[in-house]
Amino acid sequence: MSSTTENNNTKYTTENDQITSKSDEGNSNANKKETKFIVDADSIRRIQPLEYFRHFTDQKIRPNGRVFNRFRKTTLHLGSVTTADGSAVVRIGNTSVVCGIKAEVAEPNVNTPREGYLVPNVELSPMCSPNFKPGPPSELAQVLSETVNKLLKSSSVLSLESLCIEEGKAVWVLYCDVVCINYDGNILDASVYAVVSALSNVRLPKITYADGIVKATPDKTIELSLSRIPFSATFAIFNGEILADPDETEEVILEERITIICDEEGQLCSVLKSGGSSSTRETFSTCLELARNRYSVLSTIFKEASTSANTN
Amino acid sequence: MDRRRIPGPEASVKPIIERADDEDTQHVAPLKTIDDIRQDGRSLDKIRKAWLAPGIITQANGSAYIEFQGTKVACAVYGPRATKISAFSGKGSLNCEIKFAPFSCQKRRSPQRDPQEKELSHLLFEALAPAVRLDLLPKSTIDVFVTILQNDGNGSCLAASITAASVALADAGIEMLDQVAACSACYIDDEIWIDCTLREEEHAQGSLVLSYMSSLNEITHMLQSGEISVSGTIRTIEQCTEACSKIYSIMGNCLLESVRRKLEKDNTLGGLNKKEG
Repeated sequence: MSSTTENNNTKYTTENDQITSKSDEGNSNANKKETKFIVDADSIRRIQPLEYFRHFTDQKIRPNGRVFNRFRKTTLHLGSVTTADGSAVVRIGNTSVVCGIKAEVAEPNVNTPREGYLVPNVELSPMCSPNFKPGPPSELAQVLSETVNKLLKSSSVLSLESLCIEEGKAVWVLYCDVVCINYDGNILDASVYAVVSALSNVRLPKITYADGIVKATPDKTIELSLSRIPFSATFAIFNGEILADPDETEEVILEERITIICDEEGQLCSVLKSGGSSSTRETFSTCLELARNRYSVLSTIFKEASTSANTN
Repeated sequence: MDRRRIPGPEASVKPIIERADDEDTQHVAPLKTIDDIRQDGRSLDKIRKAWLAPGIITQANGSAYIEFQGTKVACAVYGPRATKISAFSGKGSLNCEIKFAPFSCQKRRSPQRDPQEKELSHLLFEALAPAVRLDLLPKSTIDVFVTILQNDGNGSCLAASITAASVALADAGIEMLDQVAACSACYIDDEIWIDCTLREEEHAQGSLVLSYMSSLNEITHMLQSGEISVSGTIRTIEQCTEACSKIYSIMGNCLLESVRRKLEKDNTLGGLNKKEG
Protein backbone atom coordinates (compact mmCIF):
# COMPACT_ATOMS: atom_id res chain seq x y z
CA MET A 1 0.00 0.00 0.00
CA SER A 2 2.56 2.47 1.15
CA SER A 3 4.72 1.87 -1.89
CA THR A 4 1.84 2.62 -4.27
CA THR A 5 1.05 5.92 -2.62
CA GLU A 6 4.68 6.83 -2.79
CA ASN A 7 4.65 5.94 -6.45
CA ASN A 8 1.61 8.07 -6.98
CA ASN A 9 3.22 10.93 -5.21
CA THR A 10 6.35 10.78 -7.28
CA LYS A 11 4.26 10.55 -10.41
CA TYR A 12 2.38 13.67 -9.38
CA THR A 13 5.52 15.63 -8.73
CA THR A 14 6.98 14.84 -12.08
CA GLU A 15 3.77 15.85 -13.82
CA ASN A 16 3.61 19.07 -11.93
CA ASP A 17 7.23 19.72 -12.62
CA GLN A 18 6.49 19.50 -16.28
CA ILE A 19 3.63 21.96 -16.08
CA THR A 20 5.16 24.41 -13.68
CA SER A 21 8.75 23.83 -14.63
CA LYS A 22 9.91 27.22 -13.40
CA SER A 23 8.67 26.96 -9.83
CA ASP A 24 10.44 24.90 -7.22
CA GLU A 25 7.54 25.05 -4.82
CA GLY A 26 6.22 22.27 -2.62
CA ASN A 27 3.98 19.46 -3.72
CA SER A 28 0.68 20.88 -2.44
CA ASN A 29 1.34 24.27 -3.91
CA ALA A 30 2.00 22.83 -7.34
CA ASN A 31 -1.24 20.90 -7.05
CA LYS A 32 -3.12 24.12 -6.53
CA LYS A 33 -1.55 25.61 -9.62
CA GLU A 34 -2.70 22.70 -11.71
CA THR A 35 -6.35 23.08 -10.67
CA LYS A 36 -6.14 26.80 -11.30
CA PHE A 37 -4.98 26.07 -14.84
CA ILE A 38 -7.95 23.80 -15.55
CA VAL A 39 -10.66 26.13 -14.19
CA ASP A 40 -9.97 29.23 -16.20
CA ALA A 41 -13.13 31.24 -15.65
CA ASP A 42 -12.77 33.42 -18.70
CA SER A 43 -12.44 30.57 -21.18
CA ILE A 44 -15.42 28.77 -19.69
CA ARG A 45 -17.43 31.97 -20.00
CA ARG A 46 -16.63 32.06 -23.70
CA ILE A 47 -17.02 28.37 -24.51
CA GLN A 48 -19.87 27.41 -22.19
CA PRO A 49 -21.73 30.57 -21.22
CA LEU A 50 -24.71 28.71 -19.81
CA GLU A 51 -22.52 26.39 -17.72
CA TYR A 52 -20.56 29.39 -16.49
CA PHE A 53 -23.77 31.09 -15.51
CA ARG A 54 -25.03 28.00 -13.69
CA HIS A 55 -21.87 27.92 -11.55
CA PHE A 56 -22.78 31.34 -10.24
CA THR A 57 -26.51 30.75 -9.78
CA ASP A 58 -25.71 27.62 -7.76
CA GLN A 59 -24.07 29.98 -5.27
CA LYS A 60 -27.17 32.24 -5.36
CA ILE A 61 -25.38 35.07 -7.10
CA ARG A 62 -25.07 36.39 -10.67
CA PRO A 63 -21.81 36.91 -12.60
CA ASN A 64 -22.33 40.69 -12.44
CA GLY A 65 -22.28 40.52 -8.63
CA ARG A 66 -25.97 41.17 -8.04
CA VAL A 67 -28.24 38.92 -5.99
CA PHE A 68 -31.23 37.47 -7.81
CA ASN A 69 -33.89 40.06 -7.06
CA ARG A 70 -31.70 43.18 -7.10
CA PHE A 71 -32.40 45.78 -9.78
CA ARG A 72 -29.63 48.04 -11.01
CA LYS A 73 -29.29 51.61 -9.80
CA THR A 74 -31.86 53.77 -11.54
CA THR A 75 -31.77 57.52 -12.08
CA LEU A 76 -34.19 59.93 -13.72
CA HIS A 77 -33.78 63.53 -14.88
CA LEU A 78 -36.72 65.51 -16.16
CA GLY A 79 -36.74 68.46 -18.52
CA SER A 80 -33.05 68.45 -19.45
CA VAL A 81 -33.70 68.64 -23.21
CA THR A 82 -34.97 72.18 -23.60
CA THR A 83 -35.84 71.92 -27.30
CA ALA A 84 -38.49 69.33 -26.40
CA ASP A 85 -41.83 70.13 -24.77
CA GLY A 86 -41.19 67.41 -22.23
CA SER A 87 -38.21 65.14 -21.69
CA ALA A 88 -36.74 62.46 -19.46
CA VAL A 89 -33.29 60.91 -19.22
CA VAL A 90 -33.36 57.43 -17.67
CA ARG A 91 -30.40 55.34 -16.61
CA ILE A 92 -30.81 51.78 -15.37
CA GLY A 93 -27.28 50.66 -14.62
CA ASN A 94 -25.39 51.26 -17.83
CA THR A 95 -28.51 51.32 -19.99
CA SER A 96 -29.43 54.90 -20.74
CA VAL A 97 -32.25 56.31 -22.84
CA VAL A 98 -33.53 59.80 -23.58
CA CYS A 99 -37.18 60.46 -24.33
CA GLY A 100 -38.18 63.81 -25.79
CA ILE A 101 -41.75 64.82 -26.57
CA LYS A 102 -42.58 67.31 -29.30
CA ALA A 103 -46.10 68.75 -29.41
CA GLU A 104 -47.52 69.81 -32.77
CA VAL A 105 -50.96 70.56 -34.16
CA ALA A 106 -52.77 68.49 -36.80
CA GLU A 107 -56.19 67.79 -38.20
CA PRO A 108 -57.92 64.91 -36.38
CA ASN A 109 -58.95 61.68 -38.01
CA VAL A 110 -62.45 61.94 -39.55
CA ASN A 111 -63.71 58.97 -37.54
CA THR A 112 -62.46 60.34 -34.23
CA PRO A 113 -62.91 64.12 -34.45
CA ARG A 114 -62.20 64.71 -30.75
CA GLU A 115 -59.12 62.53 -30.36
CA GLY A 116 -55.52 63.70 -30.54
CA TYR A 117 -52.53 61.61 -31.49
CA LEU A 118 -49.93 59.95 -29.28
CA VAL A 119 -47.04 58.63 -31.37
CA PRO A 120 -44.35 56.72 -29.45
CA ASN A 121 -41.28 55.48 -31.29
CA VAL A 122 -38.16 53.79 -29.95
CA GLU A 123 -34.92 54.32 -31.83
CA LEU A 124 -32.08 51.84 -31.32
CA SER A 125 -29.29 53.60 -33.14
CA PRO A 126 -26.03 51.88 -34.06
CA MET A 127 -24.41 54.18 -31.50
CA CYS A 128 -25.77 52.34 -28.48
CA SER A 129 -24.56 48.82 -29.21
CA PRO A 130 -22.25 47.02 -31.67
CA ASN A 131 -25.15 44.69 -32.56
CA PHE A 132 -27.33 47.36 -34.17
CA LYS A 133 -26.87 48.46 -37.75
CA PRO A 134 -27.61 51.78 -39.38
CA GLY A 135 -30.74 52.03 -41.46
CA PRO A 136 -34.46 51.48 -40.83
CA PRO A 137 -35.52 50.32 -37.34
CA SER A 138 -34.66 46.72 -36.51
CA GLU A 139 -37.21 44.11 -35.52
CA LEU A 140 -36.43 44.69 -31.86
CA ALA A 141 -37.00 48.44 -32.20
CA GLN A 142 -40.31 47.89 -33.99
CA VAL A 143 -41.52 45.43 -31.36
CA LEU A 144 -40.53 47.87 -28.59
CA SER A 145 -42.33 50.79 -30.24
CA GLU A 146 -45.45 48.72 -30.68
CA THR A 147 -45.32 47.45 -27.08
CA VAL A 148 -45.06 50.98 -25.71
CA ASN A 149 -47.78 52.14 -28.10
CA LYS A 150 -50.14 49.36 -26.98
CA LEU A 151 -49.41 50.08 -23.34
CA LEU A 152 -50.24 53.77 -23.70
CA LYS A 153 -53.38 53.15 -25.74
CA SER A 154 -54.91 50.05 -24.11
CA SER A 155 -54.34 51.08 -20.52
CA SER A 156 -55.48 54.64 -21.30
CA VAL A 157 -52.55 56.41 -19.66
CA LEU A 158 -53.61 59.65 -21.30
CA SER A 159 -57.11 60.25 -22.60
CA LEU A 160 -56.73 61.21 -26.25
CA GLU A 161 -59.79 63.46 -25.97
CA SER A 162 -57.86 65.73 -23.61
CA LEU A 163 -55.64 66.58 -26.61
CA CYS A 164 -58.55 68.12 -28.51
CA ILE A 165 -58.27 71.82 -29.43
CA GLU A 166 -61.32 72.27 -31.67
CA GLU A 167 -63.55 69.34 -32.53
CA GLY A 168 -63.00 68.08 -36.07
CA LYS A 169 -60.56 70.89 -36.81
CA ALA A 170 -57.42 70.76 -34.71
CA VAL A 171 -55.88 68.44 -32.11
CA TRP A 172 -52.49 68.05 -30.43
CA VAL A 173 -50.02 65.47 -31.70
CA LEU A 174 -47.51 64.28 -29.13
CA TYR A 175 -44.47 62.67 -30.74
CA CYS A 176 -42.72 60.64 -28.02
CA ASP A 177 -39.33 59.68 -29.38
CA VAL A 178 -37.08 57.46 -27.31
CA VAL A 179 -33.40 57.47 -28.28
CA CYS A 180 -31.15 54.83 -26.76
CA ILE A 181 -27.69 56.12 -25.81
CA ASN A 182 -26.23 52.99 -24.27
CA TYR A 183 -27.77 49.52 -24.62
CA ASP A 184 -27.01 47.23 -21.70
CA GLY A 185 -30.19 45.18 -21.53
CA ASN A 186 -33.69 45.71 -20.16
CA ILE A 187 -34.53 48.39 -22.69
CA LEU A 188 -38.28 47.92 -22.23
CA ASP A 189 -38.25 49.02 -18.57
CA ALA A 190 -36.13 52.02 -19.46
CA SER A 191 -38.34 53.00 -22.41
CA VAL A 192 -41.60 52.75 -20.49
CA TYR A 193 -40.16 54.69 -17.55
CA ALA A 194 -38.79 57.37 -19.90
CA VAL A 195 -42.00 57.78 -21.93
CA VAL A 196 -44.31 57.96 -18.93
CA SER A 197 -42.01 60.35 -17.03
CA ALA A 198 -41.57 62.56 -20.09
CA LEU A 199 -45.37 62.70 -20.55
CA SER A 200 -45.68 63.93 -16.98
CA ASN A 201 -43.05 66.59 -17.78
CA VAL A 202 -44.88 67.97 -20.85
CA ARG A 203 -45.99 71.59 -20.58
CA LEU A 204 -48.25 72.87 -23.35
CA PRO A 205 -48.98 76.50 -24.21
CA LYS A 206 -52.46 78.01 -23.90
CA ILE A 207 -54.06 77.85 -27.28
CA THR A 208 -56.75 79.68 -29.21
CA TYR A 209 -58.47 78.55 -32.39
CA ALA A 210 -59.98 81.02 -34.83
CA ASP A 211 -60.80 80.63 -38.56
CA GLY A 212 -58.53 77.67 -39.13
CA ILE A 213 -55.54 79.26 -37.43
CA VAL A 214 -54.13 77.94 -34.19
CA LYS A 215 -52.33 80.47 -32.03
CA ALA A 216 -50.33 79.71 -28.91
CA THR A 217 -49.00 81.77 -26.04
CA PRO A 218 -45.21 81.86 -25.71
CA ASP A 219 -45.11 80.49 -22.17
CA LYS A 220 -45.86 76.82 -21.63
CA THR A 221 -47.76 76.06 -18.47
CA ILE A 222 -50.50 73.46 -19.02
CA GLU A 223 -49.72 69.99 -17.73
CA LEU A 224 -51.20 66.81 -19.12
CA SER A 225 -53.53 64.90 -16.83
CA LEU A 226 -52.33 61.32 -16.76
CA SER A 227 -55.04 58.95 -15.60
CA ARG A 228 -52.59 56.17 -14.74
CA ILE A 229 -48.85 56.08 -14.22
CA PRO A 230 -47.58 52.65 -15.27
CA PHE A 231 -44.00 51.52 -14.65
CA SER A 232 -42.56 48.23 -15.78
CA ALA A 233 -40.37 45.54 -14.23
CA THR A 234 -38.64 42.78 -16.20
CA PHE A 235 -37.38 39.45 -14.90
CA ALA A 236 -35.38 36.71 -16.57
CA ILE A 237 -36.18 33.14 -15.60
CA PHE A 238 -33.35 30.62 -15.28
CA ASN A 239 -34.06 27.10 -13.97
CA GLY A 240 -37.07 28.43 -12.09
CA GLU A 241 -35.02 31.19 -10.44
CA ILE A 242 -36.18 34.77 -10.94
CA LEU A 243 -33.43 37.21 -11.94
CA ALA A 244 -34.54 40.82 -11.80
CA ASP A 245 -33.49 43.37 -14.41
CA PRO A 246 -31.30 41.27 -16.76
CA ASP A 247 -28.37 43.10 -18.37
CA GLU A 248 -27.16 42.58 -21.92
CA THR A 249 -24.94 39.54 -21.27
CA GLU A 250 -27.75 37.86 -19.34
CA GLU A 251 -30.31 38.64 -22.03
CA VAL A 252 -28.18 36.83 -24.61
CA ILE A 253 -28.03 33.66 -22.51
CA LEU A 254 -31.49 33.63 -20.95
CA GLU A 255 -34.39 33.58 -23.36
CA GLU A 256 -37.23 33.36 -20.91
CA ARG A 257 -38.44 36.71 -19.67
CA ILE A 258 -41.46 38.07 -17.83
CA THR A 259 -42.36 41.75 -17.88
CA ILE A 260 -44.99 43.08 -15.52
CA ILE A 261 -46.30 46.60 -15.94
CA CYS A 262 -48.50 47.86 -13.14
CA ASP A 263 -49.91 51.22 -12.08
CA GLU A 264 -49.90 53.22 -8.84
CA GLU A 265 -52.72 51.16 -7.31
CA GLY A 266 -50.92 47.91 -8.04
CA GLN A 267 -53.34 47.09 -10.86
CA LEU A 268 -51.89 45.35 -13.88
CA CYS A 269 -51.51 47.25 -17.14
CA SER A 270 -49.68 44.62 -19.09
CA VAL A 271 -48.00 41.26 -18.60
CA LEU A 272 -45.59 39.93 -21.19
CA LYS A 273 -43.96 36.53 -21.13
CA SER A 274 -41.59 35.67 -23.89
CA GLY A 275 -39.39 32.75 -24.88
CA GLY A 276 -38.20 29.74 -22.92
CA SER A 277 -40.29 26.97 -21.49
CA SER A 278 -43.40 27.06 -19.34
CA SER A 279 -43.46 28.89 -16.03
CA THR A 280 -45.44 27.93 -12.98
CA ARG A 281 -48.12 30.07 -11.44
CA GLU A 282 -45.95 30.59 -8.34
CA THR A 283 -43.27 32.19 -10.51
CA PHE A 284 -45.83 34.66 -11.79
CA SER A 285 -47.11 35.58 -8.37
CA THR A 286 -43.56 36.08 -7.04
CA CYS A 287 -42.78 38.27 -10.06
CA LEU A 288 -45.93 40.28 -9.42
CA GLU A 289 -44.90 40.91 -5.83
CA LEU A 290 -41.39 41.94 -6.89
CA ALA A 291 -42.84 44.19 -9.58
CA ARG A 292 -44.98 45.98 -6.97
CA ASN A 293 -41.90 46.52 -4.81
CA ARG A 294 -40.06 47.82 -7.82
CA TYR A 295 -42.95 50.17 -8.56
CA SER A 296 -42.64 51.85 -5.18
CA VAL A 297 -38.88 52.37 -5.76
CA LEU A 298 -39.45 53.85 -9.23
CA SER A 299 -42.28 55.98 -7.90
CA THR A 300 -40.03 57.54 -5.22
CA ILE A 301 -37.34 58.33 -7.82
CA PHE A 302 -40.05 59.76 -10.07
CA LYS A 303 -41.41 62.04 -7.34
CA GLU A 304 -37.95 63.29 -6.39
CA ALA A 305 -37.15 64.05 -10.03
CA SER A 306 -40.48 65.88 -10.50
CA THR A 307 -39.95 68.13 -7.50
CA SER A 308 -36.37 68.98 -8.50
CA ALA A 309 -37.53 69.71 -12.09
CA ASN A 310 -40.30 71.98 -10.82
CA THR A 311 -38.06 73.97 -8.51
CA ASN A 312 -35.55 74.71 -11.28
CA MET B 1 -44.95 56.43 -45.51
CA ASP B 2 -42.66 54.66 -43.09
CA ARG B 3 -44.26 51.33 -42.23
CA ARG B 4 -41.61 50.40 -39.71
CA ARG B 5 -42.53 53.13 -37.25
CA ILE B 6 -45.72 54.02 -35.42
CA PRO B 7 -47.53 56.37 -37.81
CA GLY B 8 -48.72 59.81 -36.79
CA PRO B 9 -51.02 62.11 -38.77
CA GLU B 10 -50.07 62.85 -42.36
CA ALA B 11 -49.10 66.42 -41.62
CA SER B 12 -48.60 68.41 -38.46
CA VAL B 13 -47.33 71.89 -37.73
CA LYS B 14 -46.07 73.91 -34.81
CA PRO B 15 -48.72 76.36 -33.62
CA ILE B 16 -48.10 80.04 -34.38
CA ILE B 17 -46.75 81.73 -31.28
CA GLU B 18 -48.61 84.92 -30.58
CA ARG B 19 -46.93 87.48 -28.39
CA ALA B 20 -48.58 90.15 -26.37
CA ASP B 21 -47.57 93.68 -27.41
CA ASP B 22 -45.50 94.45 -24.37
CA GLU B 23 -43.51 91.25 -24.86
CA ASP B 24 -42.57 92.21 -28.39
CA THR B 25 -39.84 94.52 -27.23
CA GLN B 26 -38.33 91.76 -25.15
CA HIS B 27 -38.32 89.38 -28.09
CA VAL B 28 -36.30 91.71 -30.27
CA ALA B 29 -33.95 92.50 -27.42
CA PRO B 30 -30.46 93.25 -28.77
CA LEU B 31 -28.05 90.33 -29.05
CA LYS B 32 -25.46 92.18 -27.00
CA THR B 33 -25.10 95.19 -24.74
CA ILE B 34 -23.02 98.25 -25.60
CA ASP B 35 -20.06 96.72 -23.73
CA ASP B 36 -20.10 93.71 -26.08
CA ILE B 37 -21.61 91.37 -23.50
CA ARG B 38 -23.90 88.79 -25.03
CA GLN B 39 -27.27 87.69 -23.64
CA ASP B 40 -25.73 84.72 -21.86
CA GLY B 41 -23.15 86.95 -20.21
CA ARG B 42 -20.00 86.19 -22.23
CA SER B 43 -17.98 88.45 -24.49
CA LEU B 44 -17.82 87.98 -28.27
CA ASP B 45 -14.59 85.96 -28.31
CA LYS B 46 -15.54 83.46 -25.56
CA ILE B 47 -16.88 79.95 -26.07
CA ARG B 48 -19.79 78.70 -24.03
CA LYS B 49 -19.14 76.67 -20.89
CA ALA B 50 -18.16 73.20 -22.05
CA TRP B 51 -18.68 69.92 -20.29
CA LEU B 52 -16.94 66.85 -21.66
CA ALA B 53 -17.11 63.23 -20.47
CA PRO B 54 -15.26 60.38 -22.21
CA GLY B 55 -16.30 56.73 -21.85
CA ILE B 56 -20.01 57.10 -21.07
CA ILE B 57 -21.16 54.45 -23.56
CA THR B 58 -19.91 51.18 -22.08
CA GLN B 59 -20.91 49.07 -25.09
CA ALA B 60 -18.64 51.03 -27.42
CA ASN B 61 -14.87 50.79 -27.82
CA GLY B 62 -14.66 54.51 -27.16
CA SER B 63 -17.17 57.24 -26.51
CA ALA B 64 -17.66 60.82 -25.44
CA TYR B 65 -20.43 63.20 -24.44
CA ILE B 66 -20.03 66.93 -24.90
CA GLU B 67 -22.20 69.82 -23.88
CA PHE B 68 -21.84 73.47 -24.90
CA GLN B 69 -24.76 74.64 -22.76
CA GLY B 70 -27.62 74.24 -25.26
CA THR B 71 -25.75 71.97 -27.67
CA LYS B 72 -25.59 68.37 -26.48
CA VAL B 73 -23.86 65.65 -28.46
CA ALA B 74 -23.09 61.98 -27.75
CA CYS B 75 -20.57 60.01 -29.79
CA ALA B 76 -19.53 56.35 -29.92
CA VAL B 77 -16.64 54.72 -31.76
CA TYR B 78 -16.68 51.05 -32.76
CA GLY B 79 -13.64 49.36 -34.14
CA PRO B 80 -11.22 48.93 -35.67
CA ARG B 81 -13.22 45.94 -36.91
CA ALA B 82 -12.96 43.84 -40.07
CA THR B 83 -14.17 45.54 -43.23
CA LYS B 84 -17.21 43.90 -44.79
CA ILE B 85 -16.08 44.65 -48.33
CA SER B 86 -14.02 41.73 -49.62
CA ALA B 87 -11.65 43.78 -51.76
CA PHE B 88 -8.26 44.35 -50.13
CA SER B 89 -7.40 47.82 -48.99
CA GLY B 90 -4.08 48.76 -47.45
CA LYS B 91 -5.66 51.62 -45.59
CA GLY B 92 -8.40 51.49 -42.99
CA SER B 93 -11.68 53.22 -43.70
CA LEU B 94 -13.38 55.73 -41.46
CA ASN B 95 -17.15 55.67 -41.47
CA CYS B 96 -18.86 58.68 -39.87
CA GLU B 97 -22.56 59.16 -39.23
CA ILE B 98 -24.30 62.08 -37.60
CA LYS B 99 -27.91 61.72 -36.54
CA PHE B 100 -30.25 64.30 -35.06
CA ALA B 101 -32.60 63.04 -32.37
CA PRO B 102 -36.18 63.80 -33.50
CA PHE B 103 -36.67 66.18 -30.56
CA SER B 104 -33.33 67.96 -30.90
CA CYS B 105 -34.40 70.96 -32.98
CA GLN B 106 -37.04 73.70 -32.85
CA LYS B 107 -39.23 71.75 -35.25
CA ARG B 108 -39.52 67.98 -34.96
CA ARG B 109 -37.21 66.15 -37.35
CA SER B 110 -38.34 63.02 -39.10
CA PRO B 111 -36.39 60.00 -37.85
CA GLN B 112 -35.49 59.17 -41.45
CA ARG B 113 -32.15 60.36 -42.76
CA ASP B 114 -32.19 63.75 -44.44
CA PRO B 115 -29.66 65.54 -46.67
CA GLN B 116 -28.40 67.78 -43.85
CA GLU B 117 -27.34 64.75 -41.82
CA LYS B 118 -25.54 63.34 -44.87
CA GLU B 119 -23.70 66.61 -45.36
CA LEU B 120 -22.68 66.89 -41.72
CA SER B 121 -21.51 63.26 -41.71
CA HIS B 122 -19.30 63.98 -44.67
CA LEU B 123 -17.87 67.12 -43.07
CA LEU B 124 -17.14 65.12 -39.90
CA PHE B 125 -15.25 62.57 -41.98
CA GLU B 126 -13.24 65.26 -43.72
CA ALA B 127 -12.30 66.91 -40.43
CA LEU B 128 -11.20 63.69 -38.73
CA ALA B 129 -9.61 61.64 -41.50
CA PRO B 130 -6.33 63.65 -41.71
CA ALA B 131 -5.71 63.07 -37.98
CA VAL B 132 -6.35 59.32 -37.79
CA ARG B 133 -3.50 56.93 -38.66
CA LEU B 134 -5.60 54.90 -41.09
CA ASP B 135 -2.43 53.61 -42.79
CA LEU B 136 -1.78 51.49 -39.67
CA LEU B 137 -5.11 49.69 -39.99
CA PRO B 138 -5.35 47.76 -43.25
CA LYS B 139 -8.52 45.77 -43.97
CA SER B 140 -10.40 47.41 -41.11
CA THR B 141 -13.16 49.92 -40.52
CA ILE B 142 -13.68 52.43 -37.76
CA ASP B 143 -17.29 53.44 -37.21
CA VAL B 144 -18.03 56.81 -35.65
CA PHE B 145 -21.67 57.35 -34.67
CA VAL B 146 -22.81 60.72 -33.41
CA THR B 147 -26.25 61.58 -32.03
CA ILE B 148 -27.17 65.21 -31.54
CA LEU B 149 -29.53 65.35 -28.60
CA GLN B 150 -30.06 69.08 -28.54
CA ASN B 151 -29.23 71.65 -31.17
CA ASP B 152 -28.41 75.23 -30.17
CA GLY B 153 -26.56 76.52 -33.20
CA ASN B 154 -25.91 74.52 -36.38
CA GLY B 155 -22.25 75.51 -36.52
CA SER B 156 -21.70 74.58 -32.91
CA CYS B 157 -23.38 71.20 -33.53
CA LEU B 158 -20.80 70.33 -36.17
CA ALA B 159 -17.95 71.67 -34.05
CA ALA B 160 -19.15 69.73 -31.00
CA SER B 161 -19.52 66.56 -33.09
CA ILE B 162 -15.94 66.84 -34.37
CA THR B 163 -14.57 67.50 -30.89
CA ALA B 164 -16.58 64.65 -29.34
CA ALA B 165 -15.59 62.22 -32.10
CA SER B 166 -11.95 63.07 -31.65
CA VAL B 167 -12.12 62.41 -27.90
CA ALA B 168 -14.05 59.18 -28.51
CA LEU B 169 -11.37 57.99 -30.98
CA ALA B 170 -8.70 58.66 -28.36
CA ASP B 171 -10.81 56.88 -25.75
CA ALA B 172 -10.99 53.87 -28.09
CA GLY B 173 -7.20 53.83 -28.20
CA ILE B 174 -6.99 54.50 -31.94
CA GLU B 175 -3.71 56.04 -32.99
CA MET B 176 -3.93 59.63 -34.14
CA LEU B 177 -1.49 62.33 -35.13
CA ASP B 178 -3.14 64.80 -32.79
CA GLN B 179 -6.52 65.59 -31.25
CA VAL B 180 -8.82 67.62 -33.46
CA ALA B 181 -10.62 70.46 -31.74
CA ALA B 182 -13.28 72.38 -33.62
CA CYS B 183 -14.88 75.76 -33.15
CA SER B 184 -17.55 77.73 -34.98
CA ALA B 185 -17.84 81.45 -35.51
CA CYS B 186 -20.36 83.81 -37.05
CA TYR B 187 -19.97 87.17 -38.69
CA ILE B 188 -22.62 89.61 -37.48
CA ASP B 189 -22.47 93.30 -38.46
CA ASP B 190 -18.72 93.32 -39.18
CA GLU B 191 -17.91 91.63 -35.90
CA ILE B 192 -16.72 88.12 -35.16
CA TRP B 193 -18.82 86.11 -32.74
CA ILE B 194 -17.33 82.85 -31.48
CA ASP B 195 -19.54 79.79 -30.78
CA CYS B 196 -22.95 81.25 -31.63
CA THR B 197 -26.32 80.10 -30.31
CA LEU B 198 -29.23 79.40 -32.62
CA ARG B 199 -30.72 82.84 -31.99
CA GLU B 200 -27.46 84.62 -32.80
CA GLU B 201 -27.04 82.52 -35.95
CA GLU B 202 -30.31 83.89 -37.32
CA HIS B 203 -28.66 87.31 -37.58
CA ALA B 204 -25.40 86.08 -39.11
CA GLN B 205 -24.18 87.22 -42.53
CA GLY B 206 -21.58 84.49 -42.71
CA SER B 207 -20.20 81.61 -40.71
CA LEU B 208 -17.06 79.54 -40.36
CA VAL B 209 -16.26 76.18 -38.79
CA LEU B 210 -12.61 75.41 -38.18
CA SER B 211 -11.03 72.07 -37.17
CA TYR B 212 -7.56 72.48 -35.79
CA MET B 213 -4.80 70.28 -34.40
CA SER B 214 -3.25 72.36 -31.66
CA SER B 215 0.07 70.61 -31.03
CA LEU B 216 0.89 70.26 -34.72
CA ASN B 217 -0.47 73.72 -35.48
CA GLU B 218 -2.32 72.37 -38.51
CA ILE B 219 -5.83 72.92 -39.81
CA THR B 220 -7.59 69.71 -40.87
CA HIS B 221 -10.78 71.24 -42.18
CA MET B 222 -12.36 74.60 -42.72
CA LEU B 223 -15.81 75.51 -43.93
CA GLN B 224 -16.67 79.10 -44.68
CA SER B 225 -20.04 80.19 -45.95
CA GLY B 226 -21.87 83.44 -46.45
CA GLU B 227 -20.51 86.89 -46.89
CA ILE B 228 -17.21 87.61 -45.14
CA SER B 229 -14.37 89.71 -46.53
CA VAL B 230 -10.94 88.13 -47.02
CA SER B 231 -9.36 90.06 -44.16
CA GLY B 232 -12.37 89.22 -42.00
CA THR B 233 -11.97 85.54 -42.78
CA ILE B 234 -8.31 85.59 -41.81
CA ARG B 235 -9.12 87.33 -38.54
CA THR B 236 -11.88 84.78 -37.88
CA ILE B 237 -9.47 81.91 -38.48
CA GLU B 238 -7.06 83.43 -35.96
CA GLN B 239 -9.76 83.81 -33.32
CA CYS B 240 -11.06 80.30 -33.99
CA THR B 241 -7.61 78.75 -33.59
CA GLU B 242 -7.32 80.49 -30.23
CA ALA B 243 -10.70 79.12 -29.14
CA CYS B 244 -9.73 75.67 -30.48
CA SER B 245 -6.61 75.71 -28.31
CA LYS B 246 -8.81 76.31 -25.27
CA ILE B 247 -11.09 73.42 -26.25
CA TYR B 248 -7.98 71.32 -26.89
CA SER B 249 -6.77 71.82 -23.34
CA ILE B 250 -10.21 70.80 -21.99
CA MET B 251 -10.06 67.64 -24.14
CA GLY B 252 -6.58 66.80 -22.89
CA ASN B 253 -7.55 67.28 -19.25
CA CYS B 254 -10.68 65.16 -19.56
CA LEU B 255 -8.85 62.29 -21.27
CA LEU B 256 -6.08 62.39 -18.67
CA GLU B 257 -8.63 62.35 -15.88
CA SER B 258 -10.49 59.38 -17.38
CA VAL B 259 -7.26 57.40 -17.79
CA ARG B 260 -6.31 58.20 -14.20
CA ARG B 261 -9.72 56.99 -13.00
CA LYS B 262 -9.39 53.78 -15.01
CA LEU B 263 -5.94 53.11 -13.54
CA GLU B 264 -7.18 53.76 -10.01
CA LYS B 265 -10.06 51.37 -10.57
CA ASP B 266 -7.70 48.70 -11.89
CA ASN B 267 -5.42 49.22 -8.91
CA THR B 268 -8.20 48.81 -6.37
CA LEU B 269 -9.46 45.72 -8.18
CA GLY B 270 -5.94 44.35 -8.30
CA GLY B 271 -5.62 45.05 -4.58
CA LEU B 272 -8.83 43.18 -3.89
CA ASN B 273 -7.68 40.20 -5.90
CA LYS B 274 -4.42 40.10 -3.99
CA LYS B 275 -6.25 40.13 -0.69
CA GLU B 276 -8.50 37.32 -1.81
CA GLY B 277 -5.52 35.30 -3.07
